[in-house]
Amino acid sequence: MAVTDTSSPARPGKAASAEAEARLAAWLAAYRPLPGVPDELFDAAGQPRKRWLAFLREFAGYSPQELESRFGMSARHIRKSGASYRIYGEETERSWPLDPLPLILDQGEWDQIAAGVAQRANLIEAILQDLYGAGKLVADGALPAAAVTGSPDFLRALQGVKPPGGRFLQLYAADLGRGPDGRWWVMDDRTQAPSGAGYALENRLVVSRAYPSLYNNLNAHRLAPFFDALRKGLSGAASRADPRICLLTPGPFSQTYFEQAHLARYLGFLLVEGDDLVARDGKVYVRTIAGLKRADVILRRVDADFLDPLELNAASRLGTPGMLEAIRAGGVAVLNMPGAGVMESRALLAFLPSLCRRVLGEELKLPNVATWWCGQPHEREHVEANLDQLTIAPAFNLPEGAALGRPRLVADLTPDERAALQAQMTDRPGDFVGQEVVRLSTMPVLRDGRLQPTPFMLRVFAAATPDGLKIMPGGFCRTSDGADVRAVFMGEGARTADVWVIDDKPVERLTLIAVGDEVKVRRILGHLPSRAADNLFWLGRYIERTEATVRLVRSLCTSLMASESALHARGETFDCLRRLLVDWGALDGATPEARALDAARASLHDERAWGSAISLVHAARRTASGMRERLSADFWALLLELEADLAGGAEALASEGQVLEQVENALQHLAGLSGLAQENMNRVAGWRFLDMGRRIERGVNTCQFARTLAHDQATVDDLDLLLDLNDSQITYRARYLEGLALTPVRDLVMLDPFNTRSIAFQIETLKGHLAVLPTLLEDGILEEPSRILLPLAAELETADARALGADRTLAIERALMRFSNAVADRFFLQGANAVPTVKLVGLA
Amino acid sequence: MIYGLRHRTTYSYQEQVSFARCVLRLTPRSSPTQTVLESRVAVTPQPSAVVEKTGPFGAQTITVTVDKPHLALVIEASSRIDVHVPPAPPADQSLPWEAVRARALESHDLRPEGPAAHLYPTHRTPQTAEITDYARRSFPPGRPIVAAAAELMTRIHADFRYDPGATEVSTPVAEAFAARHGVCQDFSQIMIVGMRGLGLPTAYVSGYLRTIPPPGQPRLEGADATHAWVGVWCGDEAGWIGFDPTNAILAGNDHIVLAIGRDYADVAPIDGIILATGAQTLKVEVDVVPEA
Repeated sequence: MAVTDTSSPARPGKAASAEAEARLAAWLAAYRPLPGVPDELFDAAGQPRKRWLAFLREFAGYSPQELESRFGMSARHIRKSGASYRIYGEETERSWPLDPLPLILDQGEWDQIAAGVAQRANLIEAILQDLYGAGKLVADGALPAAAVTGSPDFLRALQGVKPPGGRFLQLYAADLGRGPDGRWWVMDDRTQAPSGAGYALENRLVVSRAYPSLYNNLNAHRLAPFFDALRKGLSGAASRADPRICLLTPGPFSQTYFEQAHLARYLGFLLVEGDDLVARDGKVYVRTIAGLKRADVILRRVDADFLDPLELNAASRLGTPGMLEAIRAGGVAVLNMPGAGVMESRALLAFLPSLCRRVLGEELKLPNVATWWCGQPHEREHVEANLDQLTIAPAFNLPEGAALGRPRLVADLTPDERAALQAQMTDRPGDFVGQEVVRLSTMPVLRDGRLQPTPFMLRVFAAATPDGLKIMPGGFCRTSDGADVRAVFMGEGARTADVWVIDDKPVERLTLIAVGDEVKVRRILGHLPSRAADNLFWLGRYIERTEATVRLVRSLCTSLMASESALHARGETFDCLRRLLVDWGALDGATPEARALDAARASLHDERAWGSAISLVHAARRTASGMRERLSADFWALLLELEADLAGGAEALASEGQVLEQVENALQHLAGLSGLAQENMNRVAGWRFLDMGRRIERGVNTCQFARTLAHDQATVDDLDLLLDLNDSQITYRARYLEGLALTPVRDLVMLDPFNTRSIAFQIETLKGHLAVLPTLLEDGILEEPSRILLPLAAELETADARALGADRTLAIERALMRFSNAVADRFFLQGANAVPTVKLVGLA
Repeated sequence: MIYGLRHRTTYSYQEQVSFARCVLRLTPRSSPTQTVLESRVAVTPQPSAVVEKTGPFGAQTITVTVDKPHLALVIEASSRIDVHVPPAPPADQSLPWEAVRARALESHDLRPEGPAAHLYPTHRTPQTAEITDYARRSFPPGRPIVAAAAELMTRIHADFRYDPGATEVSTPVAEAFAARHGVCQDFSQIMIVGMRGLGLPTAYVSGYLRTIPPPGQPRLEGADATHAWVGVWCGDEAGWIGFDPTNAILAGNDHIVLAIGRDYADVAPIDGIILATGAQTLKVEVDVVPEA
């Protein structure tokens, strides 16, 4: 293959350049497009296309090492801190390994795709307006009623309801493939709650970071304007200015949760779950720490059936009772409008070509896969006559008991399966469609240093805005692992690629200045939702408790100041430590460890003990994973590292020295987390709840240490241990040259307002937080948390260390626990046990 | 025949309930087979909001919100209804069942009373091969739909034991089918699943059945119950005909229709969500009193 254009800029040296030329030539020479299948890289005449050559020529300039360094690092970094990191042992999240090569489309081709997708979005919008409105398409015979009613997403409860905001579709996606004739075909419509836009964004982040100059040189269209348009479109659906927009997620167990969290963070929406919301008086509200706040627009990722247990699926735990009533009242715009999912039925693909002529008066610009709905006698005959050449697929996404789970090639069925399918098609023909077998085109991917053709599908997104439809110039491209180009075998796809739409002229630079819009200056982004406050609070508590546990373990292995380092590993002090560890669940009290090393090992790594360090870190990570959009990427990455280090260290604990090494490592990570929380989080309400959690936990723990180790009969060893746990050895020794004595130790650990680890300091800090958090009523009466905290603060301010025996300390500890409960009652989703009424009994 | 109806539901709570929102489907509707003369629904305590509308399947629904603390919620529906069901067409003169299946697929009627609304499986009436095969024996080629459905109804009545304690409202249809017992809801669901499995439009009908006290004994107050049976679409002309597999009779002037839907979920008399911490109990009293 002759590739001789050497005019491209930015060549490093001659040798490197020659190497790059050789690499490119080798790639192209070894590339074998599949026979009879169009390929993105090579045209029908066997020549590489210009846009790909332009890309590959620069791309070949990266040596394998440089590519690994650029792409691998970027991908790892983004994956780890970004949207789709899979959690160890909880792999519900679909991972999409990213190919280093993007799919490259030129402007001319893209314009056709964009026009076709826009036409389709408009067509589907018009059909939805008719189905839920006048119903003329069915009444006039253009669409059989049974081709509509088979979809569980045909929601009669919303029949006749005008969507608040005016539109059914806010975000639409089409799955495209390029057929053997080189044309693009639509394989599926996504109208319920299309996923993938967030992944597309993430892929773009990785690739543009990996090869910034390549990306800039090629004039690839930016994705950001599309997301701006999406945001504008959603704002436009609200009935008031400056609306509160929420992204409704099914929660952390959803397959695409991290995409949702990523989108929410990127777009600046509140990420909420069903029970964060309350429907009242025809409106929907978010529960926040400042009470109920109106939700104007909800971008939903929850399927319609689960939205409202009162009117739809009563078994749903993901929805908000009364949501449909609020939609009918026009008090909230839920997008896409519940019921829009009806257009995902394959049965309707059969009717779209004729509906397009009827509704829009034009032909479909992008054909869809030829589809025959077997509910019609002629179509069924056609399918039966050509059974072996077709794919048979479910006509609707039926709930359960559906005969056919997924599309099947009839030719691949066993005789028994085939007979069963035919019998089912006789009984219930309307449940099936026949579809032609779609063959996909191929695009180049880089595998093991070589270019290979691989089948792919492209998801393209359209967003409705006040200025019309906007199409994302790019998309979510899924590539297959195998070489079978029949679309039915793609399934959900195995890998993914970024999609570049290359303009002939330089693309418009984005400026940071929002033109034409008056941007109001804000310092606080709305009110913190109660669930987020709850999670942050507990994250703070878990992290602090982990730290305390790790400090206890450290003390098992060493004494920081005493000349004899194994001081705490035996005798009464060891018993004390072990009792503390047993008391808070780090150790199983039933089998008392004889050696300090065994106790240390168990307290760090025993996954069955709910209070062990590893269990606490798991809990912290789970809590954090429910609000990823509120934590910085660094914070999350550090937390995962701590978890991985602790989990990985279980085997390597043969000596006290190794325990110490792990403990010090863990403490450094924990200090890093504190540092990030202090320095990198905005001092808004979210940070305050994280810090309140920490302060309460530290206060309670210190009380526990103090009443165990600084009671009236405490020994010198006890006090030494207490100073270790309180991290106050140096301070104490600098202040008191006289050596360890009970009262000064107590004063330092409990009452000293300058010691950041004293109880008094925690309570002063808590007081500061409470003073700036919102109150529910402006009646000047103190709320319960303040009523508990303020007397406690006064007590510690005026207390005398001599009088702080175990009983008084216990009373302080209990007051802190009461305070914690009062904070939970006041700010979190308190008592929100929405339960269904018992069902009817006594049916005859 | 004119009936006076009273349907009283009492929820009692162990702890105060601060908030309740209920969807009530307790208002009977006039249709070609019955005329509602009067109807009203009373809720205690007094709701803070009441929204009335026509529900997805045509029945009048009332959504009530109670937002003051209460220990009991009482919902009483009462009505007077004139029932005048025309005699069913002679079984042999109805359409062959395959023709009914074909016409249902062709229908241009998207309304809830059209056949297309009742063709497909639902959460509570999932397609179940065993039940379809059980039903199939009553549907040999060319048999008129009314005759075939009547035979299936009679077989269910004969093959299944009526046992009020055996199932609950949430018992899956396959379970009741396998155990060969149940109450009106189970029998109706079995007939629905069997016939829908053959592509035939069938509906779940909830309502009341006049009970005739044993000779010489007075009618017991509150002792009647809500009832369920099956609507079968028999073609455009014959329309919907009611089959009661619990009693092996066609629905006639003893059957008073409350609501029609695809399954129980569409017609449940009350769906409620409460904010509650304690246990709850439910009492239902129904009186169906024929006027002289």
